[in-house]
Formats: sequence, structure tokens, C-alpha cells
Amino acid sequence: MSNSISRRRFLGTTAAVGAATFLPRHARAASGEISVWKFGGTPQEVEVWAQRNDAFAEAHPDIELNYSYFNGQIRRQKILAGFQTRRLADVIIAFGQDIPEFAGFGMIQPLDDIAGDRMAGWKDRIVPEVFDSGMHEGKLYALPTYVDMASFLAVNLDALEEAGFDRPPETWSELREYAKAMTKPDRPGIAFPATTAPVDINIFEGLAYANGGRIFDEETGKVTLNDPGVVDALQFYVDLISDGSTPAATSLTETFFRDTAQLFGQGRSAMWIGLSWLNTPWGVNEDVRWTGVPFPRPDAPTGSYEPVSAIMDGTAMLMVSSRAENPEAALDYVDFWSQDKQLEIWGGQPEIARIPAGKAAWDNPELAEAWPNWVKAYDAGTLFQGAAEMPRFIGVSAIESALGTAIQQAVLGQKSPQEALDEATAAAQGQIDLIRG
Amino acid sequence: MLRSDRFLAYALILPVVAAVVAFVVGPTYNVATLSLTQVVMGMERGFGTLGNFQALAADPVFGLVLKNTAIWILGGTVLCVTVGLGVGAYLAIDSRMTGWLRALILLPWVLPDVVTAMAWKWMLHGQVGIIGQTLQQSGLTEGTVSFLGDPDMVMWVLVVVLIWRKMPLVALILCAAIRSVPDDQLEAARMDGANAVERFRFVTLPNIAFSLTAVTVISMIWITAEFALPWIMTGGGPANASQIMATYIYQQSFEFFNWGVASAMSVINLVMLASIVALYLYINRRSWASEGSK
Repeated sequence: MSNSISRRRFLGTTAAVGAATFLPRHARAASGEISVWKFGGTPQEVEVWAQRNDAFAEAHPDIELNYSYFNGQIRRQKILAGFQTRRLADVIIAFGQDIPEFAGFGMIQPLDDIAGDRMAGWKDRIVPEVFDSGMHEGKLYALPTYVDMASFLAVNLDALEEAGFDRPPETWSELREYAKAMTKPDRPGIAFPATTAPVDINIFEGLAYANGGRIFDEETGKVTLNDPGVVDALQFYVDLISDGSTPAATSLTETFFRDTAQLFGQGRSAMWIGLSWLNTPWGVNEDVRWTGVPFPRPDAPTGSYEPVSAIMDGTAMLMVSSRAENPEAALDYVDFWSQDKQLEIWGGQPEIARIPAGKAAWDNPELAEAWPNWVKAYDAGTLFQGAAEMPRFIGVSAIESALGTAIQQAVLGQKSPQEALDEATAAAQGQIDLIRG
Repeated sequence: MLRSDRFLAYALILPVVAAVVAFVVGPTYNVATLSLTQVVMGMERGFGTLGNFQALAADPVFGLVLKNTAIWILGGTVLCVTVGLGVGAYLAIDSRMTGWLRALILLPWVLPDVVTAMAWKWMLHGQVGIIGQTLQQSGLTEGTVSFLGDPDMVMWVLVVVLIWRKMPLVALILCAAIRSVPDDQLEAARMDGANAVERFRFVTLPNIAFSLTAVTVISMIWITAEFALPWIMTGGGPANASQIMATYIYQQSFEFFNWGVASAMSVINLVMLASIVALYLYINRRSWASEGSK
């Protein structure tokens, strides 16, 4: 019996095998089980996310979706434990600040290595500046759905007018003057959070970066917490306290961002410092008239680096685990969340607390109504001008933890901002040297 | 003992020995070796180093952590057992009221840690908390009191919440021990003219010494292992004023990914706890031995 093979048959077989191997992977319908862990989010987001998951399940009947929601503050512990025990979810929805460490640890994989031609669609639908927030070392590790920007100021309009002002403050010195004038015996002029919660530290970083400060220099590997830009930003916090414009210092160190929002919403503080999610429903009383504006600028930035207009980070970024057992299905899930219908959630349908990632979301009238100035700035192409990423590098938590301690020491008057930040720099440098080796 | 009996005895205790090796000896060995290894971000950078211990010695926060941990463990245990003894003695009295209280007192114990911590955090908040507001409205304080924001106060406030949470079980165990003291001994002491304090000191206490020692050691271990309460209520702040071993180990492990240093702290924690327990058992060896041999 002859085993010969004709040339035509050989070429046909080779072409068929080649096509099966090299065809875009997502052309094959994904099936099987995927697990998804989502961390953090506003109550509204958490509810809507689960509803849209049902839509995903309907559209992908062959994929069994195992979705779990967790508090944002425990994400590192949960993800690390999952990674170590080889039970990490296929898709992780976490914070942009986590990317360098998760990537460095080998927990997540670059999406552009596996996404194939889906990438073109993502780039097409997502605002470039926001899309870049998912990049690390030139590769896309996470798909953003929105970003938060730091820092913003909420102003009670009745208190503003009562104090004789017709516009919100625009510089740090103006803010001190306004806060003093708006202070009453039973209502401080301004409140800011100063606990060790990461968000409270991010709020401060917004001020420090706008003043030309940085917390770490990637090029030199040096912690720069005692840069004049950071020291003077902390001095600004201390000045607000010594002006008598804030609640008691001990109260600030136990009041995290949500409590501060609550005080403002109840009319118990005339202004408060937060992130761009000022507009989220924090339980603001109906009789409180207020507005949110970008945080006033330093009169003359003192830091050694380029002052930024804002720092930003996404807190619902979709990442695919490096141990994903079903990467095709995981990518289908990520792709589902890149569609306009999902991204419009943050265009005021229904959430108005974030800066949406989807281009189409910016056309929604709900967003224009809630944040007319944002939409104007976006349309003019200035919204992200001068903005930078929130600090993100391997060891960021160690430095932010030392910064949190320094903020509290200065706020409580235990140390001057310079002393507190000098000590924090030394402590954080020790940690960083250990972590980065 | 017959040889076959000996085999049977070993076979019967084998599952327990295996469980102890798997769940106690194994992890302890693992932590001990990790403490001598530079492990950061899951990457080993050399075994056989004291670098982690040296890093701790150079860490300015670690001294404060040790001081806070001493307040937490020793203060917490002493107060928990002392208050528990007082409450247990009261609950040992037969009355309708104490009958109800014996059941109700367990409520703080059965609540989940996270719920307890969140509720206390809210209640103790200087501006939005009910305790501060009540104190201010009743004129007891002039302004708001920041129980968890004041570095001089925060550690002791945490200890109070800890006692509220842990004391009920201690009180019930000691109540049961007090109720088992033979009536004839108490009656004999009374007839000899001993007053209530003397009867408690010279009759009740020696009789409950075994339970008291056991409950003290157990409380010390519970309190050392307690993490959720301080972490949720303060996160170690303000300015590390409530940073204790448990929270700092967590921070090093899961926030900084610095497992070598975290393991070194765990080893120090284990040695400290074992030393304190050993010392306590040594001091109380007589009552422990006599009761235990009954």
C-alpha cells in the first residue's frame, strides 16, 4: 500500500492546520467557566455591574460566569492569597495603582499579547488619556472603565455668598482666606480627611503633585517625600488647621473621606476636599446648595518637578490573571465591558461620580447636566491637559503608608511637616530598598 | 501494657499528631525559615540571613509597635480577666436577674468582629458618633472628643472595646468555676468568722485557680491574635499610635509584600507570647499542678 501524498493534498492540509492555528483567537466562540473578582465601587456601581453581568451571561450562554464582589480595601490581601494558593480569579477588577506590583509579581498578563484584534476596538471606543492609564512599561495590562481625578473642592454656595464671595477660591492663599471667612463657631470653613486610608492619602497627593512634588523618583530610586513640593503642601494643611478653619486636628485624623463628605452634606462644614467623585450621592441634604470645582492652585509651585493639573487613576480596571484557566472567555468578558453600552454607565446612566472612559459616554445629556464644566473641558480637549497618573510603582504602598503617618504627625502637631516628611523619607527608603532589592 | 495495645494507642493518637504537624508545626517551621530568608514580592533573595531582624531593629516604627503591643496584650488580658472575674462573681449569685444576664452577656461575643469594629468606630467618632454627641449634649465635655483620633487615648479606647468583646466568655467560665466551689468550705469559713472578701480571697480563689490560669492564658492568646478590631477601627493610626504586632505584620505582608520582615515579626511575636505564658504558668505552677491533678 502506498503512503504517498499528493502536492495538492499536502498544501490543503497545511493551509487548514495553519488557518486553525493562526486565525484570530476570539473568532472561536469561548466557552467554559470564568471567575471574576471585583473590588470596590459606589453602591450604584456595584448594583449596576451585577445587572450587566446578567446581560453578559445572556449574550454568552456557553460561558459560566462566577462573579464575586469584595471591599476595595482588601483587594491586595485577597489577590495575593489567591495567587499564592493558585486560586486567583480569571479576571480581576482592581485599581490602576496596583498594576506595577501585580505585573511585577507575575499575577496579571499584558492584554495586548492575548487580545488580538480586540485591541483596535478598545482604542476606538476609549478616550486615549484614560486608555493610557491601563498601560505599564509600554503594554496594556488593564482596561479602564473610568478614572477618578485628584483633587477637587466642594463648596457650600450659601456659605460662600454669606461670606461675601461670588466665586469659589482659585489659589491656596485664597482658599485660606475663604475658609477663615466661612468658619462659624458651630461649622468649620473646611474639612479634609487625614486618616491612613489610601484615598485620603491620594487626596493629599493631588495637592502635592500640583505643587510640583513627587513621592518617588523612578530614575534614581529615591523616595522624595521631603521634596519642597510635598512639604509645602503639608504645611498648607497645617496652616488651615492653625487658622482655626477646620474641625479639631484629632477629629481630622479619625475622619476619612466618606465621613468628611457626610459632614459637608449635612451642612456641618462649608467646604471639603475630595476627589472627582464629589458628585456621587453622599447623602447631601436637599437644602444644601453646593458646587464642585478643581482644587485651587498653589500661588507659586515650590516643588522640584513639573506641577500637574491633576492626578488620576481608575478603580475598576479589568485585568486578566496570568493563571487564567480560560483566557478566551476572560477576554470576552473584558471586551464586553469595553462596549459603549457598558461604558455609558459612567456617563450618567446612572453613575455621575466618575470621569468616564468611553468616548460615547461623553455625549450623554445626563453627564452634561451633572458636570457641565467637565463636558466643556472634554470637548475643548483640555480636561486631561497637564494631568498625570496617580503614583504607581513597585513599593507604592510602603511610601504612601509612610506619607500617611507623616500627614497625621503634622496634622496633630507632633512634628513640623519638614521633620515628619524627613523621617517618612528615611523610613520609606528603607522599605523601598528592601522591596526593590 | 500489651504490645498490641501499644500499637492501638499509637494508631488512635496518630490523626491528632498528624493534624498538629500539618496545621501547627508545618506553618511554624515555614514562618521560621521565611524569617531567615529575604522574600519580597514572592521572590526569594537568599536564605540564612538575619537581614529581616536587622531591618526591624532599624525600623523606627517597630519600637512603638512593641510598646503598643504590650499595652494591648498585657493591659487587655489583665483588665479582661479582672473585669471578667468581677462580673463572673456577680453572675454566680443566684437570682432572676443574673439568670437573664448569663444569657444576655454573650451577645458581644457572638457578634462578628467586623460588625463590632464598624459599630464601635461609628459610635466613637468625635463628630458623627453617638457617644461623643451624647457627652457633648449632656455637658460632660465642652467640645467633641475624638476617641480614635487622639494618639494619647486611642490605644486605651481600643483596649476598652476589646474588653467589651472578650470579657463575657471569661466571665461565664469563671462564673461556672465559682459556682462549683464546695458550699461546705464556704460555710466553714463563714462559721470561722471570715467576711465576704476573705471568703473570696482564701476559699474561692484557690478553688478556681486552675480555671483562672487557663482563662488567662487563653485570653492572652486570643488578644494576641486579634486583628480585625484594631485594623478596622484605626488602621494602626493616628501616626502609628495604635499600630500593634498583628496590624504591622498584616501591613508588611499584604500591603508592602514584605514577607521576610513580616515572618521575622511573627517569630518575635511567638517567642514573646510563649515566654509570657511560660512565665505565668511557672508563677502559678502550684495551683495549676494541684488542681490539674485532681
